[in-house]
Amino acid sequence: MTLLSVEDLHTHFISRDLDNQIRVARALNGVSFTLEAGQVLGLVGETGAGKSLTATSIMGLLRPPARVVGGRALFQGQDLLAMPEAQVNALRGRDIALVVQSPKSSLDPLTRIGNQLIRIHRAHRQVSERAARDRAVEMLASLGIPDPARRMAAWPHELSGGMAQRVLIALALMNEPRLLIADEPTTGLDVTVQAQILDLLRDLVRRTGIGAMVITHDLGVVAHYCDAMAVMYAGAIVESGPVRRVFASPSHPYTANLIGATPERLQLGAARTVGGPPPNLFRLPEGCAYRDRCPRAGADCAQPPPDVALGQGHVARCHRVAA
Amino acid sequence: MAGLLGRRLALVVPLLAVILLFTFLLVRISGSDPVGLLAGPTATTEEIALVRASLALDQPVWVQFGVYFGRVLQGDLGQSWLSNRPVLEEILDRAPATIELLFWGVLIGAGIGIPAGLRAAFRPDGGFDQVTRFLSLLGFSVPTYWLGLIMLFVFFYLLGWAPPGMGRIDLFLTPPDRVTGSYLIDGLLAADWEAAGSAFAQLVLPVLCVAIIAAAPIIKQTRAIALEVLASDYIRYARAQGLPDRQIRAMALRNSMTPVVTFIGTEITGLVGTTSLIEYVFAWGGLGQYGLSAIIAGDFAVVQGYVLVLALFSVLVFLVVDVFVLLTEPRAGAAP
Repeated sequence: MTLLSVEDLHTHFISRDLDNQIRVARALNGVSFTLEAGQVLGLVGETGAGKSLTATSIMGLLRPPARVVGGRALFQGQDLLAMPEAQVNALRGRDIALVVQSPKSSLDPLTRIGNQLIRIHRAHRQVSERAARDRAVEMLASLGIPDPARRMAAWPHELSGGMAQRVLIALALMNEPRLLIADEPTTGLDVTVQAQILDLLRDLVRRTGIGAMVITHDLGVVAHYCDAMAVMYAGAIVESGPVRRVFASPSHPYTANLIGATPERLQLGAARTVGGPPPNLFRLPEGCAYRDRCPRAGADCAQPPPDVALGQGHVARCHRVAA
Repeated sequence: MAGLLGRRLALVVPLLAVILLFTFLLVRISGSDPVGLLAGPTATTEEIALVRASLALDQPVWVQFGVYFGRVLQGDLGQSWLSNRPVLEEILDRAPATIELLFWGVLIGAGIGIPAGLRAAFRPDGGFDQVTRFLSLLGFSVPTYWLGLIMLFVFFYLLGWAPPGMGRIDLFLTPPDRVTGSYLIDGLLAADWEAAGSAFAQLVLPVLCVAIIAAAPIIKQTRAIALEVLASDYIRYARAQGLPDRQIRAMALRNSMTPVVTFIGTEITGLVGTTSLIEYVFAWGGLGQYGLSAIIAGDFAVVQGYVLVLALFSVLVFLVVDVFVLLTEPRAGAAP
């Protein structure tokens, strides 16, 4: 069974304007992707494309005015979006774990990290305090944290960024999740620590066979650590497929420009930088959302673009792509 | 931790010196000459000079400050020329009345304000939030003395539920022997149920006034603080961990406590002023009423002593708040 299958997910920000008109920002417009167990999926795109929103929508963590207005998110065959809140809450932190990008501010500042680890374990499993403590120490040790027994007593503010990120991963893994969602797990860490954290995540997936979704805007991370990738633009996935295929032959003009815009390629002079701002989510253009910025746009782009299958799971949503 | 506490305590010493300088200057810059008042209208020039010398007022200013400093350290705050009693004695007589009023008022105000503010923050713009927001605005806007008068009008005059606002105990009862200075507690300690009951009845309305005035900003502040905490990364992440709602609320409560307690600390010092008006309305006979009368009468030594005691009280309150924060906040003293 597919671990996670997101189908046509729509999330809107619905608010009232000053003149009491309802304003709708269409932040997610039909996001679909699948994630198999044992796979690392990279979700890339520019700021505001809806990467994190996809994760929070799936996990049911949206706060008003954001609301899921359509679509399904099947986790092991069960629709997370149709479940009662209590049932989703039982899955969160147990079967579906999240690692976020601001580890230091995401830890409860008034609880020692050991107690936070014990807390999440005992919130989901019927275990004794002692057993939970042993597991927490074990977990910290397995994440390469030196002197884990003593570290249990540390306060969050005493940790470095990299250490805090490890603690967050430890929290995520305490209950042996089936799905790990890492939302920009290495933003704000220095490069060597980034590599350590990402290696850790990849080894974990290899070893335990869980599924992982890594949200990032760093194509290097995708190229090095992911098996599959999905490129988001204006709340939709414009291209997805195995990492090698997408990098070798980017088919959507946005993907091509994105890959072309990495610093090394810019130096080669091979790239055309993407012009213009991202589209206004309150007034998305008809048809392809990218057509205002696309160097290859034509009259037919005012029609909704089709998903074109390019083989081996490589799909691009564009009028210009021939199968 | 011990080092931090020690440093915080040591800070009190220079603070006290500066406060003494200010209370000293307070009278110097008020411009009027206490010698004339003390010597009386019929005094001869020699008598006036004598009084001036006895007060060391013929000396340079810094010598005068030295004399004042030394006297205060010996517990001598001068004499009230209205009652001719030592100011310190009069202040100590009245302080328990004010402390009693303030203590119960703030305790009840916080007891209402903190839970109400939290509840409002858990469901912003919900029914409870709308109601408490209106009530706290009301509490902000109502003039203190008016609130006291209306309370007396309604609960004493119209309904007859409360005793008249004439002091801290029924006029025909003897106050219990002084232990703490609070008639209620002393009455209970002496097992004098009648006195304790009367003291309690007298306390209700003024304490309610202080509580209402205190609760309004506490509600507003707690709500704002809790909203900020609830929107924080760690609460969002706690939800992502699937922690039960009860635990998330407890987490929000604990993380709101430091700023809320700090706020209440600053509020208490402001409430002393508010309480003086309430004391006036209820003929409470506490420090506030004493200080206000002294200001109106121009009784300098008393005003000086009153201001000094208020300043010391503020120092004490902030000290207690800081110690609380040091003990409950693991990040205290850590490099940011």
